Amino acid sequence: MIDYLVSVLTEGSIFAIMALGLNIIWGWSGDFDLAFYGYVALGAYMTLVLTIGPATSPTTYILGLSLPFPIAVAIAVISSMLLALIVGAIALRHLRGIYFSIVTLGAVYVLYTFAGQFVPLFNGYNGLSGLFDPMGDFFNLDFTSYPFFYLGLCVAVLLVVLFLVTRLSGSRFGLALRSLREDERAAAAFGRGIYVMKLKAYVIGAGIGGLGGALFAGYLSAFNPSAWSPVETIVLYAAILVGGRGSNRGVVLGVAVMVMGLQEATRYLPEIANQPSFAPALRLILTGVILVLFIRFRPQGLLPERRLRDKDPAGTGGAAVAVEGSVAGATLDTGAA
Amino acid sequence: MTALLEVQDLHKHFGGVQAVTACSFTAAEGQITGLIGPNGAGKSTAIDLISGFKVPDSGTVRFEGKEVQGRPPHVVSRMGLIRTFQSPREWPALSVLENLILACFEPRRERFWRALWGPSRAEKERANEQLIQARAVLDEFGLLHLRNERAGNLSGGQKRLLEFGRIRMAKPRLVILDEPMGGVNPVLGERMASAVLGFVPSGTSVVIVEHNLPFIERVTDQVVVMAEGRVIAEAPFDQLRGNQAVVDAYLGEMPTYDDADA
Repeated sequence: MIDYLVSVLTEGSIFAIMALGLNIIWGWSGDFDLAFYGYVALGAYMTLVLTIGPATSPTTYILGLSLPFPIAVAIAVISSMLLALIVGAIALRHLRGIYFSIVTLGAVYVLYTFAGQFVPLFNGYNGLSGLFDPMGDFFNLDFTSYPFFYLGLCVAVLLVVLFLVTRLSGSRFGLALRSLREDERAAAAFGRGIYVMKLKAYVIGAGIGGLGGALFAGYLSAFNPSAWSPVETIVLYAAILVGGRGSNRGVVLGVAVMVMGLQEATRYLPEIANQPSFAPALRLILTGVILVLFIRFRPQGLLPERRLRDKDPAGTGGAAVAVEGSVAGATLDTGAA
Repeated sequence: MTALLEVQDLHKHFGGVQAVTACSFTAAEGQITGLIGPNGAGKSTAIDLISGFKVPDSGTVRFEGKEVQGRPPHVVSRMGLIRTFQSPREWPALSVLENLILACFEPRRERFWRALWGPSRAEKERANEQLIQARAVLDEFGLLHLRNERAGNLSGGQKRLLEFGRIRMAKPRLVILDEPMGGVNPVLGERMASAVLGFVPSGTSVVIVEHNLPFIERVTDQVVVMAEGRVIAEAPFDQLRGNQAVVDAYLGEMPTYDDADA
């Protein structure tokens, strides 16, 4: 039971990291990016080829190094960011809304097919495996204590990411990004270089996605095209929407509800004879129903995005206003009104 | 009076439609310049060309002596030329206060690494000053009690005032107002007239596109009249009544400001 709980929490933390990255792109900058899982996948693949050592026949893949796990993760994150820079530079230049989404969807399918068909790259559809218990030897961990260590690692990384994105969110950088989401032309009229700002957000978000992918590779110890399909991105979108688009705490809560909660709640349903696909199908149906209900009744999500609030009741207090965790001297209130 | 904005021989066509033809006019520093003309005269296109939202086929736009035609809108804006739009373009999900604070473009404070590192002491002070300034501006426009409200929840008239508030925060050298009186009632109109007149003393010259002629008569020093993509007259408003071309193209039977009040 405890092993089970550990694995659920580990997976949840990894998905929360990915969702926080996607939240920068969709939640703040406002771009409905369908290529996001590509960055996650590239992070995972790169981590594997950098750690599992040279390929032995019949498997083939590039690099085949045996770098320490943290260094591999760092390179993986940079790779994801570079890929995002290329895709983003093309897709964000002139395209918005559904046109942007279609181009990113195209990009991720190219990547997906390429990874699957071009065997010398990441061993095609068979994928990569062999990353067992990263850093386990270094800390002298055996197979019973290792899952706890990896859970701790993932939670620690999640907390660091959460800290950093919260910082970004409350900064003028975050605020200016939101103004792009709200009205791009007005943002340009007030001096914001839309393309560069959106591209920055895109690359940062993809980097966090790649980090999530790297940890995912360590958790699964393997990765292949069947582990990721572009549809996976929808799960992340569902989590962000339910939790609260733009809100970091909301996104983490959304992952807890939509990824961990829903997945695990439907796991123990009674098996129906001759219908083994009943539970997964029900899970998808429930995801859809929950999404529709949220969009209809609570589009701002469970924990809506915060806004800068001036708490001085008279609004005349000036410099006496407390400056805490805020950009403009006004304190950041929890409510979203 | 020196020319702050010099538009020379601007051309723009869309397919077979010649939207702006040989458009030339100037807007002087410290003045309020009206830009009027019938629908389809090319006023909005001219604004788009000046502010960088569209690229002209030919012609030059000089702002403070520097050529700006063809530059992207954010570059033009950073040079001190800010425009508004026909319908108010607030950032709806952001608060009224955030809308004002974001009107000030501050590249250093908006950098990614700065954001990650956290604001310096001087920047915190700057933020506080900005907050005080924003409150003063909101107070002036009667929006102070709405400062924590979602900007999208404001009424149409309040959104217009918010737009003026953003201009006051940004303090550009020149603002181009695109039909600020659209859908505004007479009482609010009075407030907006005094706001427009208040821009000049605060260091912001104004170009204003408007169909409300009594308003134009009241606030402008100089009026540019466009018709069919060309500038057909450039003179103070009271001299336009005697200009037959202007009367034919646009004015017709022109009401006076007093008539509109009645």
